[in-house]
Amino acid sequence: MQNCLPQTLTLNNTVTYNEQELVLSLKAKDQQSFNYLYDNYSGALYSIVLQVVPDRELASDVLQEVFVNIWRKIDSYDPGKGRLFTWMLNVARNLAIDMVRSKAYQNSQKNQVIPEPDFFDKAGTSTQQSVDNIGLKKIVHRLKTEHRVLIELAYFKGYTHEEIAEIEKLPLGTVKTRIRSALIQLRDYLK
Amino acid sequence: MNIQEYISSGIIESYVLGLASDEERAAFEQHCAMHAELRQAKEAFEISLEEYALANAMPPPVAVKEKIWKDISFSAGSSASTTMKAANETTRPLTPVRSLSFAKLLAAASIILLIGSTVLNFYFYSQYKTTSAQLNDLIAQNEQMAGNNTIMQTRLQEFERNFEMIKDTNMAVIAMKGQAPAPQSATTVYWNKQTKDVYLLVNGLPQPVSGKQYQLWAIVDGVPVDAGMLDMSQAGGLVKMKNIPKAQAFAITLENTGGSKTPTMPIYVVGKT
Repeated sequence: MQNCLPQTLTLNNTVTYNEQELVLSLKAKDQQSFNYLYDNYSGALYSIVLQVVPDRELASDVLQEVFVNIWRKIDSYDPGKGRLFTWMLNVARNLAIDMVRSKAYQNSQKNQVIPEPDFFDKAGTSTQQSVDNIGLKKIVHRLKTEHRVLIELAYFKGYTHEEIAEIEKLPLGTVKTRIRSALIQLRDYLK
Repeated sequence: MNIQEYISSGIIESYVLGLASDEERAAFEQHCAMHAELRQAKEAFEISLEEYALANAMPPPVAVKEKIWKDISFSAGSSASTTMKAANETTRPLTPVRSLSFAKLLAAASIILLIGSTVLNFYFYSQYKTTSAQLNDLIAQNEQMAGNNTIMQTRLQEFERNFEMIKDTNMAVIAMKGQAPAPQSATTVYWNKQTKDVYLLVNGLPQPVSGKQYQLWAIVDGVPVDAGMLDMSQAGGLVKMKNIPKAQAFAITLENTGGSKTPTMPIYVVGKT
């Protein structure tokens, strides 16, 4: 298939050039470029991890895993499918969700009962509050509840549309439609 | 298909954020290959997402960076060749790292516990071996003592029985003096006047040569009557001999083992009733 990326040369020359250079250096396993990558992107990726794993210590462990994975799997990154950051963001989100779904994490959370229904409706605990105020969650919170709940389940908890339909007792079509319109709203908030 | 409608359907965001299904992803990539405006819209969303994320970055703990360097184990030198070498070494497919700090801690703790319990097992096992050996010794000792005790009791009962017989007022005591073959010899016959039972006590007799055995004779009206053979192994106490209703004297000769009908050898000891 054709590459999606080259078009961006016309959009933002400087960023794209830097990104291409960065990707090439990373694929060549250049330490300087990896150092640059960490210094520039660790904060953004830590933020996304924290939105999934609110515990700072565990989130730090996940972040470590994220960068080790980026270093080791950079060869599997295909610039044709998207930007480097998009790839890294998905690596971070997937590893964070893996952590939350791990047995060890589930067991550690058993003592800390956070009732699901209160999760979105109430102001919440201090930890929860702080997580709601960072990164994407900040704009997710601007969505109306019926949209927010679905984005939380799909994006931050990693449930499939089918699983969400079951959890929320909604028709699969409704779940898909609501998530799509929630995403469109989020795109507008980002601008 | 109306590409503008497709662009504003939310598929771009769904694809970029990793929420699209496999079919949706495949279809999106195909459309992307064909439509420049779709690629542009996707790129625009990616950039706005990236910019938003960078603007809302949270600085991670300082220690994380150091841990990552350690994990991906760069070589110490940073020359191009060593870098490439390090790179080649780290590009092999590796299983994803699961760095749950408390899981590591748990693993470390369980290894320490395992080693500790192994050491303790060895210690307790050797303790157990020593103790069970000691116990076996004690059991053996105890059995030996119980055996000794039985022997002692038997001997004591025998002595008591002998003593009771000697004490008995019906018991006649006939001292027998040593004769020519062994003048130092001496025996005593205890003869119960009521039951006519005869017991012989060896005060002193030479050990008979093999094939020979002492025989007690009762002299009844001048005729020697066999009163029994003496088993020297029983000579520590009173040895029960044959019942003799009537006798004027007792004498002992050394005869062939099993005894004779009449005395054939010289008298060793003799005593009158």
